[in-house]
Amino acid sequence: MGFNGISGILNSPGEIPWEIVVLFFGAGLLFVFLWGRKTGGLEKFTTLDLIYIGIGAAFAVVWEFYIGAFLGKFIPSNPFFGIGYTGRLIALLIVAGLVRKVGVGMVAMFIFNLLSDLISYGFSGEPMYFMYEMLTYGLMMDIVIAAAGPNLFGIKSPERRITEKDRSAQRKGFEYITKMPAEYLAAIEGILIGIFWVVPEPLFYGGFISPFLYGGVVDWGKILFDMVAFIPSAVIIGAIGGLITLRIVRAVGQ
Amino acid sequence: MNMNWLILNAVSWLLFFFGAAFPVLILLKAIGLTGFMKVTRYEKHNTFYYRMNPSVKIILGIMVMVVASVTIWWIGAIMTVIILSTYLTLKDGKRKFITGMFLTMMTVIGTTWAFAPYTPYVILQEAFHSNQLTTLWVWPSYFTVMGYQPALTTQGLIYGFQISMRFAAVSLMSLVLVMTSTPSQVLRSLNKVGIPTSITFSLVVAMRTIPRIFEYIDTSVKIQFMKGLGSNAPSFLRPFYMLAGAFSGIVPVIVFLVRGAKDTAISADTRAFRAYSKRTYMHPMTIGKVDKMALSAVVLIVLLTVIVVMMGFGKGISYNG
Repeated sequence: MGFNGISGILNSPGEIPWEIVVLFFGAGLLFVFLWGRKTGGLEKFTTLDLIYIGIGAAFAVVWEFYIGAFLGKFIPSNPFFGIGYTGRLIALLIVAGLVRKVGVGMVAMFIFNLLSDLISYGFSGEPMYFMYEMLTYGLMMDIVIAAAGPNLFGIKSPERRITEKDRSAQRKGFEYITKMPAEYLAAIEGILIGIFWVVPEPLFYGGFISPFLYGGVVDWGKILFDMVAFIPSAVIIGAIGGLITLRIVRAVGQ
Repeated sequence: MNMNWLILNAVSWLLFFFGAAFPVLILLKAIGLTGFMKVTRYEKHNTFYYRMNPSVKIILGIMVMVVASVTIWWIGAIMTVIILSTYLTLKDGKRKFITGMFLTMMTVIGTTWAFAPYTPYVILQEAFHSNQLTTLWVWPSYFTVMGYQPALTTQGLIYGFQISMRFAAVSLMSLVLVMTSTPSQVLRSLNKVGIPTSITFSLVVAMRTIPRIFEYIDTSVKIQFMKGLGSNAPSFLRPFYMLAGAFSGIVPVIVFLVRGAKDTAISADTRAFRAYSKRTYMHPMTIGKVDKMALSAVVLIVLLTVIVVMMGFGKGISYNG
């Protein structure tokens, strides 16, 4: 028995070498630290940003414990689609779209964890889960935010001007759907984050955290299958999440 | 033969929907969204929970969680009963007690049903130290696609029930914190522990937002019904329309809440929130007589737990996870 339910097994068959995990988490922390130094870190969040994070966390909790928990009963456990994943991804995409500052992914993940995981799964295995979720899901979102810059999800893209062709269509009384570049950008970035989010659960959890905490043989065939099988639904949910985010951010009027 | 097949499928699906829908039915019919909001919201009163320091309540919650997870199931059950009976001391206690009872029922049925059909036989055999499992109901073979075991067993039900005793007491205790401390009290006590103000602030916003989400979704559903959602449908389909309404209300509710965020931010900023790294308080958080009593109760319970575990009443059943 190890500390707090952590067995600390480093040599399970097939387990990812701990050096690689440490290197990845170290690089992640370094990235956040340097970026935080550059932009001001936690101090940089305005009061409004903190409120957005809080509201997002509240939605994640409501989803996880009530709506998602209920819907999940009708959907068998399968490697292709996850109800919990859907709710978390969309809630965090919305928060990221509203705040658009590097670090929001990790801070939001920390608060989501405090409110939901800790109550439902207990304190056993901590602080491994906090580190794992912040430095995988949170960090990946922050990297996308850093790479996308202030025009995340096309929020700053100008709305498309109505062309002559549209006007003539309007005159004829046709309903038409406008497709603006912003929507494409939102969908693409949503998909990117969605796909990034597919990786940690099978790879880090299955390949390292789970054997580290509880021991057991790592099945790499299953890990690869889980990742590939999940991607189609991640693409769809990511795109929808990106579009919902754009719509909400526009409705809020930023 | 065909009749048997029909009965088998009908009963199996009925059982399936019972597990999924009954807890929600309790929530909607017996508790109601207003009742639910009542147990997730602070109301002013002056009994011992209300005088207790929020940090002590958090410690109590963590202790209940730890004790429930390291001891045999009936200790969790006893704690559930004790905590539930303290609901009577809350403001409007009788109503909260009844709501708490229904919530516990929801937890128990929900958790039992979440484990009973799914837990692999190997785990049950290990947990009950026996290869003999009593079959109650054999599912149609295609149920295994949903992760079901071939049959529902008595041991599966008992196992699920015992696991639910790990959650029941904890969820009742965490509601006590929400019902008896104002968000600002929680904020202050968390700050005292050393968590940065920005994080506690977000946390408190989240805590306050959770009941409001239910309130607004409720409003949104009612408005949709007024506009005629499902008005021509037979009444037994109404719950489904309610769910559909709740689902389509999510995005508008997010927009509405997020729009209100600006007002909250302005009101916090005009009161010089985060202007200084240190804050002073009009009502500092102190450790009073009630807190000392509660803390000594914590110490006593921890000691009792150690004794109980040493007597061999640790985990009576090898929980998985």
